[in-house]
Amino acid sequence: MSASDLQVGRVLRASTRGFALGCAVMQPEIPAFGSFVRAEGQVSGQAIYGLIYDVSVEDDPFVRQFIGANPPEEVVRDQRENRQIPIEVRVLAVGCGDGETIRHCLPAQPPVTLDWLYQCNDEEVRTFTERFDYFRLVLEAREVPADELLAASLRVAAAARPESEREGFLIEAGRELVRLMAGEPTRLEGLLRRLRA
Amino acid sequence: MDETMNERTPEQELEAFFGPRPAEPEPIGQLGIVVGGSLSEGLVVKLDRSTVIEGLAVGRYVVVRGRTGRRFFSIVTDVQLDALNPLIQKSPPDTSDPFMAHVYAGTAVFGQLEISPMLVLDSDASEPRPVKTVPSHFTSVYPASEEEVALIFGQEENRGFFHIGEPLEMEGTHVALDLERFVERSAGVFGKTGTGKTFLTRMLLAGLIKEDVAVNLVFDMHNEYGWKGQTEARQEVKGLRQLFPGGEVSVFTLDEASSRRRGSKVDAVVRIGYDRIEPEDVDSLSSLMALSDVQVGALYFLRRILGRDWVGRLLDENDPLAELDVALERGTIHGGTLGAIQRKLGMFRRFDFLQERVQEDPVRQILDYLDRGRNVILEFGRYGNSLEAYILVANYITRRIHEHYVQRTEAALGTREGEPRPLVITIEEAHKFLDPTIARHTIFGTIARELRKYNVTLFIVDQRPSGIDPEVMSQIGTRVTCLLDDEADIRAVFSGISGGATLREVLARLDTRQQALLLGHAVPMPVVVKTRTYGTPAFYAALGVPGGEDAEDVLERGRSLLRGSAEDAEGI
Repeated sequence: MSASDLQVGRVLRASTRGFALGCAVMQPEIPAFGSFVRAEGQVSGQAIYGLIYDVSVEDDPFVRQFIGANPPEEVVRDQRENRQIPIEVRVLAVGCGDGETIRHCLPAQPPVTLDWLYQCNDEEVRTFTERFDYFRLVLEAREVPADELLAASLRVAAAARPESEREGFLIEAGRELVRLMAGEPTRLEGLLRRLRA
Repeated sequence: MDETMNERTPEQELEAFFGPRPAEPEPIGQLGIVVGGSLSEGLVVKLDRSTVIEGLAVGRYVVVRGRTGRRFFSIVTDVQLDALNPLIQKSPPDTSDPFMAHVYAGTAVFGQLEISPMLVLDSDASEPRPVKTVPSHFTSVYPASEEEVALIFGQEENRGFFHIGEPLEMEGTHVALDLERFVERSAGVFGKTGTGKTFLTRMLLAGLIKEDVAVNLVFDMHNEYGWKGQTEARQEVKGLRQLFPGGEVSVFTLDEASSRRRGSKVDAVVRIGYDRIEPEDVDSLSSLMALSDVQVGALYFLRRILGRDWVGRLLDENDPLAELDVALERGTIHGGTLGAIQRKLGMFRRFDFLQERVQEDPVRQILDYLDRGRNVILEFGRYGNSLEAYILVANYITRRIHEHYVQRTEAALGTREGEPRPLVITIEEAHKFLDPTIARHTIFGTIARELRKYNVTLFIVDQRPSGIDPEVMSQIGTRVTCLLDDEADIRAVFSGISGGATLREVLARLDTRQQALLLGHAVPMPVVVKTRTYGTPAFYAALGVPGGEDAEDVLERGRSLLRGSAEDAEGI
């Protein structure tokens, strides 16, 4: 599996359950809600996988001042591309790997401050989503919009597959969700509908 | 090269000569996995998503392939729809979207089978044995293969085995019935009217005659077994006499005129003299003739006083019956009782087969045929509509034949030589003979209860098994049951059969035609069969009747060939 070197941002703060990272600029689709990211572990070859569940753009004093002043276009661009306060991206930890195998569990240790987080490429996403054990970590996480996050991550994982495999993948994922969420049929139906959205 | 040859194992040598051995046949696709259950209640099988539930039916055979190599032969006793969450039944999802339908099917909602394990075959054994344990959770369940069915029931090519039909959903697989075991105990064919009891019985009789496992005496109430029968569509089918033109089957009749009209070839006409009738014969009709206990008791008294000719004399209006004067005077017999008996016996005058004096003894004649291994079918002609005639004659003949068998068997005790050939007596409307109130008094009740002690067993045909004495019913070894609706009848069929309760659904769901549930002594485990079609050219051919031609046609064709007048003689 070749690892992606597409940087999303650097770790601001972290715990084993998840981490926050900051990035300077918002690019098309990076960072995106529901996408898979990877941080390097302390030991070479180790990786920590996560799902982006929140992207927040905080204001700063300059922005507040400019809001009422109708700034020229170049000032707006400067504010967007050279932000005083980074865009904060929150990630839910859903797996870790040792270079050979990926396990869907919380990492033993979080990434350290200012570590780079990378956007997973299609191959990494396909490998990670060969199994669906991470569903439970998402569903049990209190702080995240679990249903939306799962649906978005599965759409990302489907898009990382060839066209012919996407429907089959989503059906298999849906069946796993049925197994996990049988006790909440209404919620389940809503989530399944989101997979197709 | 030589070295290479020397290194080959014997298997390799053979493979080099004959080509590689064919691979072991793969089991047919898995149906599901065992998810629960018990030995007494049966197992629950969750169907795989790919298994089409509509393709499964109660009564079908499945095999659970255990982890230790054991195979558990089981029968499907119920088919169910279930859901992970019962709420889904109240608020079903919108499955008009194929994606949603695919996701839900087999996961949120799924099919289940209830199966009843019956036999188990150890990996290193060749004979299945009754099941005493259950396979573990998540063991795979497969449909039974043709080889497995043959392993359970035996091959129809074996002596004493007869192909009776095909298991459900297993077209081309033959279920062979072990006829030796079938005649070891009394057997019965049950089913409501119009379910094909007669055709099934005739086919089983054909099997018994073909395999020569026993000699048969058939009391043919509606003249359907001997020369020819009719389907419901009024198409004629060959009777047993035509199926076995080699003299294996003889037809006797009570009504010669009727037999002649029907073109039936008859070997003998049965006539019974009044002087041969005993009080026990009349006693068997007591409920039909409304004879009270006092009147039945009086029959024995009259026989003793009036002698052998008692019936003839009671029916003779000119006979003063002087011997009874003293008894009447003393009050030993009441005049009213005597008059009532005479009036009731008057019914005998309607039966032309009952005559004052008859030279031949019909029982002797029938016994002669049976002893020579010839099967006897007694047609009742127009008397088939009279239950009194049927019960009187069947009892009369059977009682005496049974006596003969008892004597001969006892004489041969200790040595196998001289033992009479096993005899199977077929009776219809059996509940009239084996009603709980009379079964203890009739010869048929005795035969059913004494098993094969005297080499006589019953083959009863009936639509109301609940009307048969439960004690007799429990002695019916093999039960071939077509569709039954009535709860009491269903209960009666399963009486004395362990695990019978689990098969109730199977029985209640049989098709109205050509389906039967076989259970009991002659089959290692219950089986639902689509019975063979009687009367087709293929059936006749299987029994050795060439091209479905009847014996007369064959004879005529042979004569024509010998005379050289046959159109097809040129080619010979």
